[in-house]
Amino acid sequence: MQRFTRATLFSLAAILAAATAFAQAPAVPELKGKSVEITIWTHEDANRAPLEKGYIAEFTAANPGVKVNYVTYPSGKIREIVTTGFAANQGPTIFNLELFDEYPFLANGRVAPVDFKMVGVKNAKELEAKYLPGMIAPVMDGGKVYGLPLELTNWCIYLNKKIFRDAGLDPDKDWPKTWEEVMAVSERIVQRNGQIITRRGFDFRYPYYLTSVVPMVEQLGGELIAKDGKTAIVGDAAWLKVLSYFREFGPNGKNLGSPTYTAARNLFDLDKNEVAMSLSGLYQEARMKAKNPAFYESKDWMVIPFPQWKDAKKRVPNNYYGHYYMVNAQASKLEQQAAWALLGYMLSHGEEYLAKVAVVQPTKALMESPTFKSMPYSNVFATDMAAAHMVYYGASSSKIDAALKEAFESVMLAGVEPQKALEKLRKDVAAILAEE
Amino acid sequence: MSDKQTAARSLERGRARWGWIFVAPGLLFFSVFSFYPILNAFYTSFFNKKLLSLKAPKFVGVQNYAKVVASPDFWNSVRATFTFALGAFVPLFLLSLIFAVLISSRRRFKRAAQMALYSPAVLSSAVAALIWLLVFDPRGLANQFVNWIAGTPGIDRKWLADATMVQISTIIVYVWKYVGYFTILFITGIGKIPQSVNEAALIDGAGPLQRFFRITLPLLRPTTVLVSVMILIQCLKTFSTQYLFTQRGAPIGPVNVLTLNIYNTALRDQNLGRASVMSVLLFLFMLFLSWAQLRFSRSEEAEL
Repeated sequence: MQRFTRATLFSLAAILAAATAFAQAPAVPELKGKSVEITIWTHEDANRAPLEKGYIAEFTAANPGVKVNYVTYPSGKIREIVTTGFAANQGPTIFNLELFDEYPFLANGRVAPVDFKMVGVKNAKELEAKYLPGMIAPVMDGGKVYGLPLELTNWCIYLNKKIFRDAGLDPDKDWPKTWEEVMAVSERIVQRNGQIITRRGFDFRYPYYLTSVVPMVEQLGGELIAKDGKTAIVGDAAWLKVLSYFREFGPNGKNLGSPTYTAARNLFDLDKNEVAMSLSGLYQEARMKAKNPAFYESKDWMVIPFPQWKDAKKRVPNNYYGHYYMVNAQASKLEQQAAWALLGYMLSHGEEYLAKVAVVQPTKALMESPTFKSMPYSNVFATDMAAAHMVYYGASSSKIDAALKEAFESVMLAGVEPQKALEKLRKDVAAILAEE
Repeated sequence: MSDKQTAARSLERGRARWGWIFVAPGLLFFSVFSFYPILNAFYTSFFNKKLLSLKAPKFVGVQNYAKVVASPDFWNSVRATFTFALGAFVPLFLLSLIFAVLISSRRRFKRAAQMALYSPAVLSSAVAALIWLLVFDPRGLANQFVNWIAGTPGIDRKWLADATMVQISTIIVYVWKYVGYFTILFITGIGKIPQSVNEAALIDGAGPLQRFFRITLPLLRPTTVLVSVMILIQCLKTFSTQYLFTQRGAPIGPVNVLTLNIYNTALRDQNLGRASVMSVLLFLFMLFLSWAQLRFSRSEEAEL
């Protein structure tokens, strides 16, 4: 009898669990009895892919006529793959990129407006109300919304306490608050075999200059583009100071780091005494946990705010950037409906995305949730984000980012004088804006 | 017309038909994947065509050509391309010739040597560049090896970080990858030289150097011309090494070869019109090289 009861209870629990799982995904009336195939192209993320595949399985179980092909590409390749696909009119139904790479798709009319009914809201206003202020604005045009935020990321500095202590520093007191201190602390920590660096104090996150370097300029009162939208590279003194800092930091200066070394954030997680500080987002915690759980569980790391200049004119943390899921305007109406319904369902699991992938969907509910608040150092990211602004985006943002990369790396690596690099940068960005 | 002549003509026609049938897949492939894109690039070069735009492209005449020619970036790419082509040409040519002569003179392990030299050519360019990225890492084999040879421990040669060194690094990768391929071409050329000529010189008492400079090299001239032009054309098409190196932090200016500029102009800047202009100019130059090679080969044949 006891055996029977236990078996019955197990069966009932399994049925209940399955029913709950299926009940989560809505059966969309518009898709009932119809057959539709949609494709998702997204960047690789070992933690996110299984989560999203699970939601897709639930959605297709509730909507049996829908078939979803989920394809991932390396982060460094996805921009060109999506661009090439769209150029050949063979783009996926759903895709995501970083906002400044994604915006040209919106500017060229290649993406479809959000189908509010399919995502479960009445209108744009209701959708905007679910998110933090300003999060939907970058993908709005003419009152229509063209994307749903998958993640909003800002970077702070991950710090390895063991390396600090090894260099005779107290991580709790000596963590760098200013860029001058970043340089000084890096000089204390760096170890070299001759000229070859074997341990870095800090290194930048190359080549994300729009995201991470423009804020350094803005702290000093400089601007990438003036408020008139036409004048490029404003505030020479600020730009020259940052360019000179990179020259001093690089292999031809104090030799503290370089874009040609392995990315600092990849080495940081390994905790092999190679990098003391690296820039990354909250999502890095999930990667660290997966790659090196012992280090993640230890008390040997912490997160500190994005540094400011000693003589900063205003506090500007690292820019945040967003990945928005968008839908191909060339997809049929039924495909678009299926795509938005699926996205609405997937993105309704903000807390699971945070818990399992550590990506932040910028909804008000998530930012107030216990899940977010219990993430280690989430308060550091939240405080920085509150004072930060969205990365520059526009029809030519990728090209401007490339011009910044060329300028900074020419100073850092090729021995070009900051003044000369600045003049070329100004000319290049002005030409880019003139062609828009 | 006699029956014999009619039969011969019919046989010839039958052979010609089979010839066309055998050549047709190749022609079709070339037309779809080479000839059509060439024509399309010519056409596109006169339009203001944007990669993602759904609007009909506007005819702009030679405006794209004028803008490209006036751009310092284009001329930097021309410089980078020719620096690379000439920098790779000399070692590729000399090393493949030397290896070919050495391998041809061996009686044993000829095939093994050819295979060993040719094996990098089998790798995709992207894989080759990835392997070399590890080698050129500041803590990689290249620094260790050079410092061991030179007795200078701890010196960072900045293989990817220095403007001059990054150009040398791309040349090293290319020479490593293609030296086997051109060695095989030279070996084929050397194989065509009648053995009797060498034997006669040997009987007359000519030494190995005399035989190389007086017999092998002059009789190898058609192959030499062919290999020279092929190396140059191959070098002008270089892309993957520069692309991957710049993706991994190398400065773009020194190695921004034309193909990389075309790629970035099309995919990053989404300006297909201007990318097509650069493609057309590169194509015309390569066409000129091919024409020069054909012309030179014909005059060589006439002389022989």
